[in-house]
Amino acid sequence: MEYLELLLKGLVVLFPIAFCCMLITYKWSFRKIEKEPTKVLVTGAAGMLAQYDILLAFPGQIGYAILPMIARGVMLGPDQPVTLHLFDNIKQADEALNGIKMELIDAAFPLLKGVIATTDIVEACKDVNIAVMLGGFPRKEGMERTDMMSKNVSMYMAQALALGKHAAADCKVLVFAKPSNTNALILKEFAPSISEKNITCLTRLDHNRALSQIAKRLKVHASDVKNIIIWGNHSSTHYPDVNHATFTTKDGERLVREHVADDHWLKTEFIKTVQHRGLAIIKARKASSALSAASAACDHIRDWVFGTPKGTWVSMGVCSDGSYGIEPGLIYSFPVRCENGKWSIVQGLKIDEFSRAKMDATAKELIEEASFAKSCLNEQ
Amino acid sequence: MWGSMKMEKEPMKVLVTGVAGMLAQPDSLFGQIGYAIAPMIARGIMLGPNQPMILHLLDIAPATEALNGVKMELPDAAFPLLKEVHATTDITETCKDVNIAIMLGGFPRKEGMERKDMMSKNVPIYKEQASALEEHAASDCKVLVVANPANTNALILKEFAPSIPEKNITCLTRLDHNRALSQIAERIKVYVTDVKNVIIWGNHSSTQYPEANHATVTSINGERPVKELDTDDLWLKNEFINTVQQRGTAIIKARKASSVLSAASAPCDHMLDWVLGTPKGIWLSMGAYFDGSYGIPKDIIYSFPVKCEKGKWSIVKGLKIDEFSRAKMDAIAKDLIDEKEVAHSCLN
Repeated sequence: MEYLELLLKGLVVLFPIAFCCMLITYKWSFRKIEKEPTKVLVTGAAGMLAQYDILLAFPGQIGYAILPMIARGVMLGPDQPVTLHLFDNIKQADEALNGIKMELIDAAFPLLKGVIATTDIVEACKDVNIAVMLGGFPRKEGMERTDMMSKNVSMYMAQALALGKHAAADCKVLVFAKPSNTNALILKEFAPSISEKNITCLTRLDHNRALSQIAKRLKVHASDVKNIIIWGNHSSTHYPDVNHATFTTKDGERLVREHVADDHWLKTEFIKTVQHRGLAIIKARKASSALSAASAACDHIRDWVFGTPKGTWVSMGVCSDGSYGIEPGLIYSFPVRCENGKWSIVQGLKIDEFSRAKMDATAKELIEEASFAKSCLNEQ
Repeated sequence: MWGSMKMEKEPMKVLVTGVAGMLAQPDSLFGQIGYAIAPMIARGIMLGPNQPMILHLLDIAPATEALNGVKMELPDAAFPLLKEVHATTDITETCKDVNIAIMLGGFPRKEGMERKDMMSKNVPIYKEQASALEEHAASDCKVLVVANPANTNALILKEFAPSIPEKNITCLTRLDHNRALSQIAERIKVYVTDVKNVIIWGNHSSTQYPEANHATVTSINGERPVKELDTDDLWLKNEFINTVQQRGTAIIKARKASSVLSAASAPCDHMLDWVLGTPKGIWLSMGAYFDGSYGIPKDIIYSFPVKCEKGKWSIVKGLKIDEFSRAKMDAIAKDLIDEKEVAHSCLN
């Protein structure tokens, strides 16, 4: 009896102590400790904002849209301070970059700890942890494919060498400037010190567009749809695949394909709409999709760094390891999961005949582009 | 811990006027700010990371294509918090039940334009929008006027939307406030987050008065007045004021275009602090309808230092005003009264 009493008394004393310890630990986890700023490089940041040639102005417009997103924590989280490195090397980039730097300072962003605006690629690349490559040469009207490719190849070769030498060892790279898969490939080949797993290209914009087209069709919100895949090249040959996509209903997860119940639409109009969405936006806005492109780049990096939610995958252009019969070494868009700062290709998905043909077609285009890029390299 | 349980809140309806502008036009400033602010709102920067929203986008008929373009692009970004987008040139439809109204639409003063001309273009716009908000907006709608002449546009809005609480009609001086903070930060070589409590008095125009007499800096020795750390009174009374007043022009010179990024970010700061409250000990600048504090006449929209709590702002009282500040503040009040008279004459 005595022992029981003692035990009970012990519990009465221990329980509140344990509870207080738990509460203190919980509150302690919220204390604000200022983290080291992450250095984020954005190339093509100045662009030619005053240009009315839509294509030429595009990188600058995405840069201008993405910089406040990064400075607000949309890319790296609300507690991660950042230092921005802005780079461009077009004519009069100095003035334009300085203007953007002035504005970033004027916005008094709490997370923004510094801005380096430079036309010197070495200074721009120094110790950067994240590199968002918006700078490139889109194909202008009347421009030969050879001209476009050789301009991009020399630019990405130079930037690869600088990144390889000066960026942080585990720098994560996202290439967006078209031809993005091939620009990423050049970067990979000329920056061997950067892990090939850290060189990616953006297909998240196409992925988000596909999600929103399905959401519109099913009359649900885009955040209720998941696991669409963008296979292949970020060009008009990419293949938006909904065979494994699901959406949330009050009765649980359901297959998109079953509920859309219109295979013909999924195999024709849906694919075309997503593939040509960029052009549709240009037609409507008389300007390119800067807002959604900038947002997609933030989503890509954020999921890569923080991980994808359980059961959800996203599309990323990554270095192929031969999965799904895609030639190893190509930068090809796959479905990926992210965890602990690393991505891994979702394996074991069934690929039907229709998908197989589409995936192979876009792979073929990438192989041709790669070989064309190599021939431009040999001529340099 | 119970509070951090995920419960989806009711979406707030946010109106943005002048959102599309004429993007292909070189002077389409407000269309550009609209394009920059829309994703910021959709990402929760204006209302917090857990507040879903429905965007109501309004512009004039010539901007219909551009408006549709923005409407198409927003869903493409698959923003989790953005529940719906309505884009229209119909002001009645667009004001329906809105909880927040960001007024970017208006006619800024162009080179060679007389004040009366500028006023005569803006007064009818704000009268019309006031009537629509009066009739259709939610009863506690919070309004932020950004389009210049911001103070007087806000005053017209207040006069023609009497059922909207007068404390709910404000104009933006947060951009100037942020610029002032960052100028001090650069001068003293600290982070901008270590500077607080500058004040923008008056008009959102080049006659505004940026004042650092009560501003402080966080240092290893605690909070120190800016005036103690930078004893160059001349800089504070001349160059600092000029730099902040003329910053917009300096940006145009450097970028060959107006300040869009920072001008879109500031309304988000203004609204977020108003809705969620200001941290303890910190005040901000807001143009609003005041009660005659600091000897400033009532009946004008004037920028003052305010604290915010539980969705309401209150003026910071009892600050000492020296002779230099008094003169500046009175000059701006006079200017605003003149502007008000010009606006009223346009109404007649």
